[in-house]
Amino acid sequence: MVTLGLSMEWHWLLIGLFFPLFPLSIGFNALLNAAKAPWLKVILLLIWPQIGIALIIQHQATIPEWLQYWGLLSSGLYAFRMLAMREVNIWIGYLATSSWALLWILAFDQLSEHQLQIFAFGFSLPLAIMALISGEIAKRYGAAYTGLYGGLAIANPRLTGVLVVSVFAAIATPIFPTFFAMLHTLVLSQPLPSIWLVMIWGTWSWCAARLLQGLIVGPANLPYPRDLSVGMTWAMSLLLGALAILGLIYTGNLS
Amino acid sequence: MEQLVLLLPVIPIISALMTQLLSSSMGRRVSRISVIGGTLTFALASTLLLMVLMDYPVAHYSFGETWGSLYFDPLAVLMSTVIAAISLLVRIYSVRYMAEEYGYGRFFVLLDVMSASLILMVAAADMITLLVAWHLIGVFLYFLLGHETRSFSAFRYGFWTFITYRFGDLPLVLAAAVLFHTFDSWSLPEIFAAIEANPDVTTFFGFRVVEVVGSLIAVSAFARSAQFLVHTWLPYTMEGPTPVSALMHAGIVNAGGILLNRFAPLYLQTDSVLHWVFLVGLITAVIGSILMLAQSDIKKALGYSTMGQMGFMIMECGVGAFSLAIFHLIAHGLFKGTLFLSAGSVINQARKHDGIPKDELYQFIVERRPTRKNFPWLAMAILTIIVPAFVLFSSHFAVTPDLFEKQGAIILLFFGWVTGAQVLFSTYQMETHHPWRLLLLVMTTFVVVVLGYTYISHAFDVFLFPDTAFAHQLYVAAGTDTLLFNLAAISIALLIVATWLRTYWKDSHFVHDVVTRHWARNFYAIVSREFHVSDVYKHLSQWTINLSARTNIWLRWG
Repeated sequence: MVTLGLSMEWHWLLIGLFFPLFPLSIGFNALLNAAKAPWLKVILLLIWPQIGIALIIQHQATIPEWLQYWGLLSSGLYAFRMLAMREVNIWIGYLATSSWALLWILAFDQLSEHQLQIFAFGFSLPLAIMALISGEIAKRYGAAYTGLYGGLAIANPRLTGVLVVSVFAAIATPIFPTFFAMLHTLVLSQPLPSIWLVMIWGTWSWCAARLLQGLIVGPANLPYPRDLSVGMTWAMSLLLGALAILGLIYTGNLS
Repeated sequence: MEQLVLLLPVIPIISALMTQLLSSSMGRRVSRISVIGGTLTFALASTLLLMVLMDYPVAHYSFGETWGSLYFDPLAVLMSTVIAAISLLVRIYSVRYMAEEYGYGRFFVLLDVMSASLILMVAAADMITLLVAWHLIGVFLYFLLGHETRSFSAFRYGFWTFITYRFGDLPLVLAAAVLFHTFDSWSLPEIFAAIEANPDVTTFFGFRVVEVVGSLIAVSAFARSAQFLVHTWLPYTMEGPTPVSALMHAGIVNAGGILLNRFAPLYLQTDSVLHWVFLVGLITAVIGSILMLAQSDIKKALGYSTMGQMGFMIMECGVGAFSLAIFHLIAHGLFKGTLFLSAGSVINQARKHDGIPKDELYQFIVERRPTRKNFPWLAMAILTIIVPAFVLFSSHFAVTPDLFEKQGAIILLFFGWVTGAQVLFSTYQMETHHPWRLLLLVMTTFVVVVLGYTYISHAFDVFLFPDTAFAHQLYVAAGTDTLLFNLAAISIALLIVATWLRTYWKDSHFVHDVVTRHWARNFYAIVSREFHVSDVYKHLSQWTINLSARTNIWLRWG
């Protein structure tokens, strides 16, 4: 067992930064907010949980059961907090925290490194695309803020299309890998935690619908800002399409 | 050949992809792709239905190892045919109806993926496929209802639907997890075989699996089929395009009945689940009908009418008449779909001329004017009670001689009797120059309807559940203590008869009941606020959002 010179508890807490447990999660959210450039946010969203997985693999110890419950509570807290969140970038950070905290359940049941990496990537990629889109919205409207201007569907249909699909991919909609990750987590959970888990899942949908309605619905003011370029739309659509195909092929050994 | 069932959801998906890719180059002509896809799906579904009618054996086929399997059985192909037919009609209707709308291509893409999801749902032979389809239907419906993205109200009501559906999905997800925990399989045929082999197997906290899973599935079915307390989304979703309303009321909302039918082998083994399924259906049927009568907006009235019908459909499952629920949902889907699709032209004609003759019937129904009585009240009272009972029981007895052994059948006949008697009672109140001719016409119509309903529902029973012992066992599972049942049935029947007799007597003797009128006014006030259910939900959700905001402030948004 490699412990980086830390005691067992400190090691778990270190991993708790990357599979964010409240209040350690505040660190990740502050970092994500501090990263102003969208590409920096993308890197952070893609890399962060993978560091956690690497640390768990390195640690090679059985995860204490209480960490699962801490993960579930953190996930529930951030899902609940997303309800009132209107700033898109902070919303992305909350959803990342809420979803990655659930990886503790999968890790506890000793899913292979490969499976954990794919599930974490499945959660991260749509969020990363959302972060890019959020940057594009901020460029055009001054801020990516729901309930402020609306009418994106009329003014920027391509941007809206990518945003909608990436939001639904992030909240574990079939046939994206996040859906199978949630199903897998549910199967591994005990009865009471599983009820908590499905409530978190339902709350994500509620938050997503609130977010989208504040951005895409309503009449748009003229002149319309330019839409997402065709090339960028294709690139993001292909990424999301590939993610959906990955979900269809790779169900995380649910049999 | 039976493996062609796998193609059923694939055709609309291909059609959706092609529509999306070609919509910019083809313009409005892109709808042809969707119509051709719909026609092919319908042709394939009809062929498969024909094969089932020709006694091809029941089977299931799969795209993958873990999930993606579809049934080739009577329920799957019958419902696929109905869905393919309705969605084809909706597509054809939408070609011109949506021609001037923004997002024309997107609309057809959504219609295609919706029909693929619906077919996947009715034919799913494993829990994962069922969950995928069940979940996607809610998502696609949300975007179909909010197709007009400029309309805040369309999205607001679409949001109600989406949230009800999503939270309604969750019990089904839990049911899937419990089934997998217990039987280590996602496959429905395997799960049903395991339940049949060991119906008393228990799960967490020592509960019987069939009771837990049966209850969870029923709750999901309630949310999907707008049962009381999870019904508020249905009457308010009229802001979406009319073809979507037609598809929703004719197909999507029926999913609850289909789900319960799919799990009939599980409900066969339950003790009490079907009793409260019946109760929820009954309450919904009554409340939906009351709310429908109180509406001044015809579209909302149609919405509540659907709610009442869905209540009746769930109630039919609750009494063990599973196949009857399928017949009911198909019949309801066809007539409600027709109503919605013809609504536009009716409104258009009505703007020029309402076309309603201001005759005696109009005065009776619309103006609610009291009319002169032409029938002796005692003769009508006797006719009202005896004729429908005789027609109903004799026709059903001719088809199923063991009728009186099925409590569920008796309950449904009871409802038929009340409905028939109410028709005759209304006839009694009408003014006409030829009272006996009118009465004869009403009775003949009633007999024809009852005979049609009896024989068609019997045919459905034989088609969907060819194993008569299985069908009988469903009634047994829904049954209760005989003495208690008989006492309840006789008491309710006597109460209804006494109320009718009192009403006949009061109408004949011009008695005005001040106390009843006072209660009726108060009751109407509550009904006009739709029992305050939406108000409660609105306040609860606002309270939750406020609490979330306060938590964020307290935690400094970190």
